[in-house]
Amino acid sequence: MTSTFTRRTVLQSAAIGAAAIGAPWVAKAQAATLKITTWGGKWGDIMKSEVLPAFEKEMKCKVEADQAFPYIPKLAASPPKDPLYDVLHSNSNEQWSALEQGLVMDKITAKEVPNIKDVYPYAVSEKIVGVTIFTSAVGLGFRTDRNLTPIKSWKDFADPKLSGQRGGYQIPVNSLGQAHLMLLGQLYGKGMTDLDPAYKALEQLKPMKLVDFTGQMEKLLLQGEVAVGIIHDSGVYRYDGQNQPIDFVAPSEGVLSLEQVLNVTPGSKVKELAFAYIDYMLRPDVQKKLAEAVWYSPANKNVKLDPKYDAKLYNTPEKVAQLIQVDWKWFNAHKDEVDARVARIMRG
Amino acid sequence: MGEAGKGTTAVRMSPVAWLIAPAGLFFLVFFVLPFGVMALLSVLTGNPMQRPNVSFTTRHYERMADDSLYFESLASTLKIGAITTLATLILGYPIAHWLARIRSRAGHALLLMAVIAPMLTGIVVRTFAWMTILADKGVINSTLQGLGLTSAPLPLMYNEFGTTVALVHIYVPFMVLTLAGVIGGIDERLEEAVMSLGASPLRAFLEVTLPLSLPGIMAGSLLVFALAISAYVTPYLMGGQQVLTLPMLIYQQVAATFNTAFAGALGVLLLVVSIVLVIAYNRVLGRLTRREDLA
Repeated sequence: MTSTFTRRTVLQSAAIGAAAIGAPWVAKAQAATLKITTWGGKWGDIMKSEVLPAFEKEMKCKVEADQAFPYIPKLAASPPKDPLYDVLHSNSNEQWSALEQGLVMDKITAKEVPNIKDVYPYAVSEKIVGVTIFTSAVGLGFRTDRNLTPIKSWKDFADPKLSGQRGGYQIPVNSLGQAHLMLLGQLYGKGMTDLDPAYKALEQLKPMKLVDFTGQMEKLLLQGEVAVGIIHDSGVYRYDGQNQPIDFVAPSEGVLSLEQVLNVTPGSKVKELAFAYIDYMLRPDVQKKLAEAVWYSPANKNVKLDPKYDAKLYNTPEKVAQLIQVDWKWFNAHKDEVDARVARIMRG
Repeated sequence: MGEAGKGTTAVRMSPVAWLIAPAGLFFLVFFVLPFGVMALLSVLTGNPMQRPNVSFTTRHYERMADDSLYFESLASTLKIGAITTLATLILGYPIAHWLARIRSRAGHALLLMAVIAPMLTGIVVRTFAWMTILADKGVINSTLQGLGLTSAPLPLMYNEFGTTVALVHIYVPFMVLTLAGVIGGIDERLEEAVMSLGASPLRAFLEVTLPLSLPGIMAGSLLVFALAISAYVTPYLMGGQQVLTLPMLIYQQVAATFNTAFAGALGVLLLVVSIVLVIAYNRVLGRLTRREDLA
C-alpha cells in the first residue's frame, strides 16, 4: 500500500488539525464569562460545588469567583470600562463606598431582576445600594456555661460584671463594630447619628477584647476568651448540633441587619448575565439551599425553610420588622473622624 | 587599530552589570514603580483611573499634620520596631555565636534547623500560636490560675507587650542568620591571640569579636527593624486596638476607608522616616567600625 501527499491533502490535514487543537479555545471564547466576588468558608464551598456550576450549566457561561479581600480597592484599580468584576458581593457599607466611587450601579429594579418583586422591603430599602439577597441579625452571642445574668437588652452588654469578658470589633475595619457604635447613639442619645453619647457608652464598655472580623469573634466565644460578644446569628447557629456552650440572643431593642448585597458594575460587558445571576441568587430554591447551609435569612418572601431554620431565621414580616438598618451613606461620610475618635478611646 | 579608530562606538556592558540587571529590573518594577504610583496618588485629589478631573493637592499631608494621632502612631511604630530589634539582637547574638563556632557538624545542622524551623510556618500561624499562649484562657494564664498563683488573667495580649513578644519570636531567625554569617567569618585565632596575651574570654569577646561583628549587627538590625515597622498581621491580631501602628492605619485606609491617597501619604511618611533613621544608624555604626564608607 502506498500513500501520496499532495498539496491539497496536506492543507486539508493541517486545517483539520488546527480546528481540533483550537476547538476548546474557540468554545471557551464563545462562552461568556461572569466575574463575581463571593465569600469563602462554607458559603464559598457550596457556591463553588453546587450553586455556581448549576448557574453555569443553565446560562451556558463561565463564572470566575474571587474570594480574596479586599474587593473594592481591586475593583477601583481596574479600568471602569473593563471592570475586574461584573457583580460585586459585599456587605451594605462597602456598596455605599463603591457607589461613591462610581464603581457600582445606584439602583437595580424588578425590570432588570424580576425576582426583586418578591423580596422583603428591607432588601431594596433606601438604606441599600444594589439588592440584598440575605441578611444576618447582629445581636449578642454568649457562653451558656458562665451563669450569666440573662441578657435581654443591648444595655445589658454594659453590665460591670462583664468587664474584660466582652468581645467587640476594631471599628475602623469592621462594619459590625461601626453599626454597634451607631446603635449606641440610638440607645444612649438622640439617634444613630448622635455619636457623642455613643463614644461615652463605648468608653464604658472597656476593657473589651477587639477583633477585626466575625470569624475571630466566633473563636473567642468558643474558647471562652469572652463571655458575651457582638456577633451575627449565623456565627453562632452554624455550631448547631456540635454541643458548643454558646448561644445567641436578639436584644429587645432589635437586631442590626448585616446584609449580603449584590450589585452590578456600570462598565460590565455582560450586564444581562450579571442581572441574571442576581435573579438566580434570589430564586427560592437557591435561597433555601444557601440559607440552610450557612444560617442566613433569605430576602425572598417565598422561601419555605425547614422547621429548624424557620424557627430562628428572619423570614416573616413580623421578624424582619426587628431588623435595624444602618445609614451607611452617613457613616461613610463621617468615617475618618469616627476612626480617629475611636482610636483614641480604645487606645487610652 | 582600536575599535574607535574603526569608527564604531560599541559600549560593552560589564558582565557584573548583566548579572545585576534582573535584580535591578525587579526592584524597579516591584518597588520603584508601585512606590511612585503611591507617592503620586498621595498628592492628587482622586484616582485618575476613576475620575478624569483630578488635580494636585497637599491636603493629605495637611491632614497628617493637623491630627497628632498620626504622629503618635508613627512613634508607636518606631518604638515597637526599636524594642523588637534590640530584643532580637540580645536573644539572637548568643545563638548566632554558638551557631558560628559549634564544632560538631550534627550539632550545627540541628541548631540551624532549630533556627530555621519557625520560618517554615507562616506568620499568621505563628501569631495564632502566640495567641493561644498569651490569651486570657491561654497556656500561661491557665497554668498560673490553675496553680493559684494569680486570681485574674495577666494582661499578656491585646497590648504592646504581646505584640512585641510575637514580633521578636518571628524575627529572631533573621537576626541569627545574618549575624552567624559575619561571626563565622571572624578568624578565631584573633581571640586566641588576645587571650594568650592575658585577656579574659569576656574581654576578648568585647574587644575583638563584638567590634568585628558590628557589620552583622548593623545588617541584622536594619533587616529586623524594617520588617518590624512594616508588620501588619501581628500587631493587628496581638494588639487589639490598643496598639496602632502606621501599617495598620495604611491597611485601614486601603481596605476599609478606600482612601488610597491618604494611605499613600502615610506610606510616604513611613518610608521617609525609615530612610532617615537607617542613614543615621548606618553613620553611627560606620564610625564605630571605623569604616566611614558604610555611611
